[in-house]
Amino acid sequence: MKTFDYHKPNSVSEAVALMSNEKDSRPIAGGMSLLPTMKQRLAAPEVLIDLSGIVALKGIEAGAGAITVGAMTRHVDVANSPAVANSIPALAQLAGGIGDPAVRNRGTIGGSLANNDPAADYPAAVLALGATVMTNRQEIPAEQFFRGMFETALAPGELITAVRFPLPIAAGYAKMPNAASRFALVGVFVAKFATGVRVAVTGAGPATFAFRCSNPRSRPAFSRPPSTAMASIRRD
Amino acid sequence: LVRTINGQGHETTYAQIVCEKLGVPFENIDVVYGDTDKVQFGMGTYGSRSLVVGGAALSKASDKIILKGRKIAAHLLESSEEDIEFAAGEFKVAGTDRKKAFADIALAAYVPHNYPLEVLEPGLEEQAYYDPINFTYPGGAHVAEVEIDPETGIVSLVNYTAVDDVGTIINPMIVEGQLHGGIVQGIGQALFENCVYDDASGQLLSGSFMDYCMPRADNLPRMMIATHSTPCTHTPMGVKGCGEVGTIGSPAAVANAVVDALAHLGVNHVDMPATANRVWRVMKSASLLQATE
Repeated sequence: MKTFDYHKPNSVSEAVALMSNEKDSRPIAGGMSLLPTMKQRLAAPEVLIDLSGIVALKGIEAGAGAITVGAMTRHVDVANSPAVANSIPALAQLAGGIGDPAVRNRGTIGGSLANNDPAADYPAAVLALGATVMTNRQEIPAEQFFRGMFETALAPGELITAVRFPLPIAAGYAKMPNAASRFALVGVFVAKFATGVRVAVTGAGPATFAFRCSNPRSRPAFSRPPSTAMASIRRD
Repeated sequence: LVRTINGQGHETTYAQIVCEKLGVPFENIDVVYGDTDKVQFGMGTYGSRSLVVGGAALSKASDKIILKGRKIAAHLLESSEEDIEFAAGEFKVAGTDRKKAFADIALAAYVPHNYPLEVLEPGLEEQAYYDPINFTYPGGAHVAEVEIDPETGIVSLVNYTAVDDVGTIINPMIVEGQLHGGIVQGIGQALFENCVYDDASGQLLSGSFMDYCMPRADNLPRMMIATHSTPCTHTPMGVKGCGEVGTIGSPAAVANAVVDALAHLGVNHVDMPATANRVWRVMKSASLLQATE
């Protein structure tokens, strides 16, 4: 690992100011992807801006019709949250299956979404649930957030502050893990709303992609065995 | 000892042999290894040979110590060497209660105030070489039970039972650990571990444990392991090789279980490792073949 400068701001505005002042800076959340990449010298930012001191970015807030998860909320906190378990149990289950306990104790939802690893679990939930990614500048609908492999709609200097999930009638997540890395070889998040069923797939493309079933009577993907249903899923 | 130790528990097993032979307390035995300044030339540990070869040399060296100890004891006890019996760490004049402990003999050997210096060299240090006249033939029977998800090809090992004959057992717990580790290594070969090279560039694609799949605890059932001892006829202690027994049985047992699980589809071979992808493809092509027939 190369040497780097380190800042630990206490507020989002302070973090954003540091990001604009320091050239070649990177915000760091849980560091579960960035740190291994730096150790392998695949990334060597000169400045790290640690977001873990920003209290406003942590926590889960249950509101009417939606649940909002702060960007720096760790996977373990989502997995163990009674509020999440009551409103979107599939999301708690997904968070409880990310990586291993060490990763879940460090990794955060904001870090996962900003990194947008093609095999990450969270993007499938965000897309299938039609969540809104909230940043220091704007609110980005999930459909517009995931642009491609490790690419998002975030502009330089833009930080995710929270993710707002509308509450589905029912939802579920299943993944087939890579035997070695245990990352999702393919993961599918299904969410049922009054308006229809939304399906998002992760691991099987450069980024998560949606498969929509707006007409509840035409559900070919659910009437066939899963293996053939998988093969028929197309990016929409 | 010339064997290098890397987790097989040699410190314990070798000390047990010396403890048993010389009757000295287990905690008084130091096993020195792996330092070429201190130990003789050696070839290392491999081929399940550490106990078979190194342990036999240790047993022979212990016998030489006892032989010399009897000469010293005969002098101290004013008896003839033939009358000295050695058992449980004591040299005794047969048919009497006159005896010397192993420690007394060792003291006399190194502080030879009362010692047959004219006929016997002081010191109590022996060296032994051993080359087995034959291989040892450990054997066993392994039974694997697998379940295959017909939709994904994921193979789950749900039960594993093995009975192995490693000859005389010095330490049952260490033998069980060796069998356990060997079996898991073989399961890794049968189901998970795979070196993949890129056909065009020759680049190793499975270059880290994120891609090269090692067997992990959650891949394994609780194994039933037992032993059945038939002492080897040509090694001094009747011991046989142990480290590789598990590794030899398990790939065959697991691979055969996978093929057996797919036999109804007409499958009679699956390449190792039987990854989900490979099994799924084999199932698909077998099903297609059956459909066209």
